[in-house]
Amino acid sequence: MSEAAITDRDRAIFEPRITAFVCNWCTYTGADLAGTSRLPMASNVRIIRLPCTGRIDHLFVVKAFERGADGVIVSGCHPADCHYTAGNYHARRRFGVFRELLSFLGVDPRRLTFSWVSASEGAKWADVVNETVARVRELGPFDTYHRLADASAADGDPFAALEAAAPGAAPQAAGNDAALEATVGRSAR
Amino acid sequence: MSRIGVFICHCGENIARTVDCGAVADALRDHPGVTVATDYKYMCSDPGQQLIKKAIEDNALTGVVVCACSPHMHEKTFRRAAAQAGLNPFVVEMANIREHCSWIHDDREQATAKAIDTARTIVEKVKHNRPLQTIRIPVTRRALVIGGGIAGIQAALDIADGGHEVVLVEKDPSIGGHMSQLSETFPTLDCSQCILTPRMVEAYQHPRIKLYTWSEVEKVDGYIGNFSVTIRKKARSVDEDLCNGCGDCQAACPSRRIASEFDAGLSRRTAIYTPFPQAVPNIPVLDREHCTLFKGRRKGLAKDACGTCKETCLKGAIDYDGEDTFVTEEVGAIVVATGFQLYDIGREQPEGLKGYGEYGYGDVPDVIDGLQFERLASASGPAGGKMRRPSDGAEPKTVVFVKCVGSRDPEKGMSYCSKICCMYTAKHTMLYKHKVPDGRAVVFYMDIRAAGKGYDEFSRRAIEEDGAEYIRGRVSRIFRDGDKVKVWGYDTLSNRQVVVDADMVVLATAVRPQPGIAELAQKLSVSYDQDGFLNEAHPKLRPVETNTAGIYLAGACQAPRDIPESVAMAGATAAKVLGLFSADELERDPSVALVNERTCSGCFNCERVCPYGAIERRDVCDMEGHVCGHVAYVNPGVCQGCGTCVAVCPSKSVELAGFTDDQVYAEINALAGW
Amino acid sequence: MSELQDTARRLLDEGAAQVVIGWEAGRRGARPAFVTDAAGCDRLIFDARCVHDLATFLNPRRSQVADLGRAAVVVKGCDAKAVAGLLREAQLARDQVVLIGVRCGGVAAGPEGPEPPALTADTVAARCHGCDVREPASVDVLVGEPQPEPPVAATLDERVAALDALSPAERLAFWTTELSRCTQCYACRQACPLCYCERCVVEKTEPQWVETSPHARGNFAWHLTRAQHLAGRCVGCGECERACPVGIPLGLINRKLQQVVYELYGYTVSDDPAVPAPIGAYAVDDTQDFIR
Repeated sequence: MSEAAITDRDRAIFEPRITAFVCNWCTYTGADLAGTSRLPMASNVRIIRLPCTGRIDHLFVVKAFERGADGVIVSGCHPADCHYTAGNYHARRRFGVFRELLSFLGVDPRRLTFSWVSASEGAKWADVVNETVARVRELGPFDTYHRLADASAADGDPFAALEAAAPGAAPQAAGNDAALEATVGRSAR
Repeated sequence: MSRIGVFICHCGENIARTVDCGAVADALRDHPGVTVATDYKYMCSDPGQQLIKKAIEDNALTGVVVCACSPHMHEKTFRRAAAQAGLNPFVVEMANIREHCSWIHDDREQATAKAIDTARTIVEKVKHNRPLQTIRIPVTRRALVIGGGIAGIQAALDIADGGHEVVLVEKDPSIGGHMSQLSETFPTLDCSQCILTPRMVEAYQHPRIKLYTWSEVEKVDGYIGNFSVTIRKKARSVDEDLCNGCGDCQAACPSRRIASEFDAGLSRRTAIYTPFPQAVPNIPVLDREHCTLFKGRRKGLAKDACGTCKETCLKGAIDYDGEDTFVTEEVGAIVVATGFQLYDIGREQPEGLKGYGEYGYGDVPDVIDGLQFERLASASGPAGGKMRRPSDGAEPKTVVFVKCVGSRDPEKGMSYCSKICCMYTAKHTMLYKHKVPDGRAVVFYMDIRAAGKGYDEFSRRAIEEDGAEYIRGRVSRIFRDGDKVKVWGYDTLSNRQVVVDADMVVLATAVRPQPGIAELAQKLSVSYDQDGFLNEAHPKLRPVETNTAGIYLAGACQAPRDIPESVAMAGATAAKVLGLFSADELERDPSVALVNERTCSGCFNCERVCPYGAIERRDVCDMEGHVCGHVAYVNPGVCQGCGTCVAVCPSKSVELAGFTDDQVYAEINALAGW
Repeated sequence: MSELQDTARRLLDEGAAQVVIGWEAGRRGARPAFVTDAAGCDRLIFDARCVHDLATFLNPRRSQVADLGRAAVVVKGCDAKAVAGLLREAQLARDQVVLIGVRCGGVAAGPEGPEPPALTADTVAARCHGCDVREPASVDVLVGEPQPEPPVAATLDERVAALDALSPAERLAFWTTELSRCTQCYACRQACPLCYCERCVVEKTEPQWVETSPHARGNFAWHLTRAQHLAGRCVGCGECERACPVGIPLGLINRKLQQVVYELYGYTVSDDPAVPAPIGAYAVDDTQDFIR
């Protein structure tokens, strides 16, 4: 289902599912503080606790989307405050690159939230949660990713195109919009 | 087969008001792998814990999930209860349905659904929890203290009095540090040497303290409980066992023009010397850089150009042919107490620092810094305690003291406050006025920071009783004018420029860590900030520990410090060390990383990112013993369990116990059934 | 050519290497050659058909190559960067390999042809545009004549920009189509000189992070993972795309990440192994405008 086909009605009843990967020492504790302070929050977020943002692999994010998440939050300690001194610096670099990669392959970067939330920032965590849920609700369900396993080459058997092509020629990029082809170019070396 | 017990707590009304705990129990009872699921009013109470223990025993549970408050509250409680029932504590986890659920949501249906999801997620995680064992590593119950100033001496004494051997290494010929150079100390005006030298002697004579002076730390291997430290004993040229400290060699030495480090350049010493009469040990050192004989040897002279000290020594203790030697000490903990140096603010500066040429330090002999003033004021100093200015030995009648020189200056000097200068400047004015009652002491200041016990009273005494003139404003230039030193300053409170024709100027220059601190820190794998001060593990709650397990900080190497604080910190490090030594083995949380050597490709991404240096390279040998590759190895004694290595390993050949890939995958997967 | 052959002969004669890995002419074009004797050095060529990244043979796990003895490898600039990557990541020690650098003016899109093709905007490989190592440094010997800049048609940068200009949904549609053809044959991985892991993450089954089923979802996970693992390491040799049997434009993904790593961290992959890779390092003031 392309995103254009999601109706306003779908959006109205849609409850986004958000998986959050947070670090134990800062954000998880900040979320505890938000709870102790009874700050009201949307109930769409499920937290997975890790020792440090440094532990958070890009594979977690990919798997979360595969498994039905419409949005993902990655949150940890502010720079210079990492309980393990440098884990968040490494995470910052890795995710700086990964979000560009995800976006390039077509995952709307608005579905991915990164934040620094310290153990004393309960209010900030509530904001991150509520704002993320509202934003992802607006974007709609991430069906295009959830249904990737159903997707196949748009027009029939991709290997037929190969057999038809002369030896040594670049294979036809089966099925992509011709105009898109023209801009992005063939699968050239 | 998983047999997991799920226990849902009402927490009185805190959870039960919003979450239907019975429904959660019902839902979890049907979850694959769950053997028993029940709810109760207060799980952390005694009867609650009993309920869990009984369930563990009755159902041969392999894992426990308590759905209640945050694990930060009660994970330890429930792990202890499980252990008492014979279940490994590390297969017990908590699902947070209070702080993260019942306390932040109003809708009962949504909150209950979320509680069920959360519980299921943790159940799936626990299916992959392994029964970890606390890691035990042996501890060598000896400590190394680097630096023999007041902080190092105090730490050494406290640890030694606590019953353990201490190796104390000092790079100078004597212990004592800068405190031995001071004349009187604030806020009591105690004679510094009088309170210090008994401590120095105590350290020297203590049966459990092994003292290496004129020595430096060359190399540090190992990890907490198991450090192997190589110490370079620099060639003293004097046999420590034969020398009896008579001093004849110093008296006879013909080389007398060498600037004395102890007197901060204000006097001269001989080539063979003890830095001050109360030096501990009272054994001289031959300064080979300036000694005539060694200069001749470096030039390649056939015959030694001098030999006076050797000829003079009745004990035959002088040895010109000795070399630096190396000795290795095994210790379990290291205390760094290397102290400070003053910022030399002359025109010539090393890379990255700017001088304050406008203040004339280094050009005008009567512009001196705080340590030089201490030596002038000191009874054992170059002027015998009389106020004599360096240029002509005249008694200065007007002395200007300038505070904050090179401190609190982000543009040109150090951005931080050096903490001790306000107090010692007040002290200096008092020392001066006590010696020259008709003299004029003028202080240019920005603020007066006198926050310690008795400190504010002390500062006010300088002004109210001893007549120091405090002018709030900065100094723009200091230069020689005839036989005066002209000081151009500003008085911001009365809004006018001030010119003082001083006889002498004392600059309160910034406190910096010792030179070579970066190299030492790298040897220890301890981190330091942009000013070179060593980093504490946590600025408020762990001020004397570093992020390198087993290495502690005392005194001014961590930040500018006065004597009471340095002594307090030294005591604190001793407490940490004695705590570490209180058991034969060190118990560590087993949530550490482990490398699968079979699949590791030896790219060492993990080694590069580990904040603790816990990862080593290991050779892999074939059956004939030839090295055929290398893999990474995580030292379980050093690993702190952050997991950065796991995320950065491309082949996922390293796992973090407690947060393995299997566990995280299970949690993510569990959410798929939303 | 003779300079290259003479160098190879000399190295074998002196015993500095036991095998010279270079290129030779085959029936349809250039192909990798493993020369162990002086006579064989006559077969060594270097022309625009020498597209292969021979650094891939230095993977220590290719034991049949390792068993031949110390290798002298002929490297273009991009190949030298791959060798630097292997050195940087402890897969190789500098004294285990002799590097014969060749001055390169670009290569053709493929290794085929009875004669080396003239390099025009249409025949040159897209990846050669903007090359900063036409004269590889960090090599032991440098042979060949200085070469002119390669001609250019549509640059990889322009094609990446065309994709960047689309909306995320359009890009997702594009890549869904492209990646649907992927069968997870892993030819891209095998061809890449920097994919040397003993046990690739895709082969780890507990847990199975990357689905090996060749539907778009599994293929997305595979290509996201491979690209992320190559970020800051990919030298742009183009072997992955050349190896792909279904013509997926992998070069676009790799080029995009090269741009990202340069824009964010000022880093371009270096042929000097002493320069550290960006992932695995950090700066205290790294950009974080994407983090709230």
